[in-house]
Amino acid sequence: MIGSSLSRWTMAFFTGAVIFLIAAECLMVAGYGFPAMAAEAPETLLLVHTVTIGWLSLLMCGALLQFVPVLVVQPLRDEILVLPALLCLLAGLTSLLAGFLGLTGMLDTDIPFLLIGGCLLPIGFGLVLWTLGRTLWQARPLPLPARFVAVGLTCLAATFLLGTFFAHILSGLISDAVMIDFRTKVLPVHAAAGFGGWLTFTAIGVSYRLLPMFMLAPDAERTTNHIVWWSGSIALLSIIMGAPVEFILAGSARIASVIAGLSAMVALVCYGFDLFFFYRNRKRRNIELNSKSAIGAFAALYLSAALLLNLLATGTFANHAGALIYLVAFGWLTGLGLSQLYKIVPFLTWLECYGPVMGRKPTPRVQDLMVERRDGPWFVLYFAGLLGGTVALLADAPNLFRITAAMTLLATAAIVIELVLARRLFNVAAAVRFPEGTTRPHLFLPAIRNH
Amino acid sequence: MSDKPRESLAESVRQSLRMVIDPELGENVVDLGLIYEVSVVEVGVVHVEMTTTTAGCPAAAYLRDAVGSAAGIVEGIERVEVGLTYDPPWTPEMMNADARAHLGFGRKAAGR
Repeated sequence: MIGSSLSRWTMAFFTGAVIFLIAAECLMVAGYGFPAMAAEAPETLLLVHTVTIGWLSLLMCGALLQFVPVLVVQPLRDEILVLPALLCLLAGLTSLLAGFLGLTGMLDTDIPFLLIGGCLLPIGFGLVLWTLGRTLWQARPLPLPARFVAVGLTCLAATFLLGTFFAHILSGLISDAVMIDFRTKVLPVHAAAGFGGWLTFTAIGVSYRLLPMFMLAPDAERTTNHIVWWSGSIALLSIIMGAPVEFILAGSARIASVIAGLSAMVALVCYGFDLFFFYRNRKRRNIELNSKSAIGAFAALYLSAALLLNLLATGTFANHAGALIYLVAFGWLTGLGLSQLYKIVPFLTWLECYGPVMGRKPTPRVQDLMVERRDGPWFVLYFAGLLGGTVALLADAPNLFRITAAMTLLATAAIVIELVLARRLFNVAAAVRFPEGTTRPHLFLPAIRNH
Repeated sequence: MSDKPRESLAESVRQSLRMVIDPELGENVVDLGLIYEVSVVEVGVVHVEMTTTTAGCPAAAYLRDAVGSAAGIVEGIERVEVGLTYDPPWTPEMMNADARAHLGFGRKAAGR
């Protein structure tokens, strides 16, 4: 069979992801962690990892398990490892968060939760890496979008290896003396590999395939696509490998940082040209809500770059790094994630429910599962809250931030409710909702019958 | 079998295939130009050559089965052979006027 099939556990990854997203947004509304508390406080660590591992990484893993086979036109290898991977990730993250709670003093226990999390998470990510890595390896030579994913997965490995080291330090297995250098010199590498490599570079790669597909835009590889890959890869290599080596040899990482910064800017500029090209040259003039709302995420990406340049130029980076990270995590990555979930969840639900009777019974369209006119305002509210939150962080106004966080929470909850309604086929007219032969999709568990 | 009944049967199959909707674009596979060929190869046997909008599409297996089922319910068809090909790859230009109109395909060109 040419092509791929439905990924059995992608919906379960997505479900876990949105639960952690809602939880993180509730924490922000409640004033838990940054900015109400210090950036290095355990409460902030709990919040950051709820977002980065719980929401963004689970989302990305679930999406890649479905889309890597599409990118390489090959079936997923060793699919049997996916469920153990998910269970390890969920158990590992829960344990890590419990460990952070222990550091806050809220949880008094002798169980070494940080250590357990620091062991289970690498196993979970390792299994995902194995499955996706083998699928990519079997498909060489890789098309360009898949090469982005390959670099992103390499960065994931670097991120969780450094994260595991941190977990060992925080659990006291490695001496505090090492920790001082580790925090100031290696934490930026951990964050850059995670946000820049694993999450951003992978998302860019997948977008090169999905945007033309959704908008019927020309999908032939262009020179700018390759420049984005090369310059982005050089930027990531400079930060992950070059900076530590330069620091060991010369005591600073200035040259590697400059190379990384310039390369990243080249990549972003070229990616901007490509995005403009896709939207400008799309054949499908009536684009769907996911493609419209993604524009907000792309705008947030470029706002982040502008903010970074401004903070560096004014020497205020250290004061406002939190605002920048918030804009990247909730504007670019979460904005794109929610936008694409709005397309992918109904698509997978439709295939699960109506795929088996297609050609035998009349079926509704995928678009009938959602009501775009009703849902568009939620995305507007989300991005409005995001912008307000960024301004609040720049203005050091934690109470204003909580109000704007409530806006993003409300919008996110509404979008998630719409996704649940899509899973239940709520918006499909009752008379045609379940033609004979269809199976009602489970909320997040896979159907027994699968193509 | 003379050419006319063959053509008529093939047309009936094409009509039946309009029941099959591409889940991504929400239009039927015939109007989208995903059906490359419908030919009655012998009495009661039809061959359908089809593609999907993108290679590796997760819906490909469903679409191929659906095309087989939709063709099979046409009176006079006893066996259906469905071939899935990506040569040539599908392009949006293969859509007919109905699908183009629904997706807003022609609006920009018409406005020029």
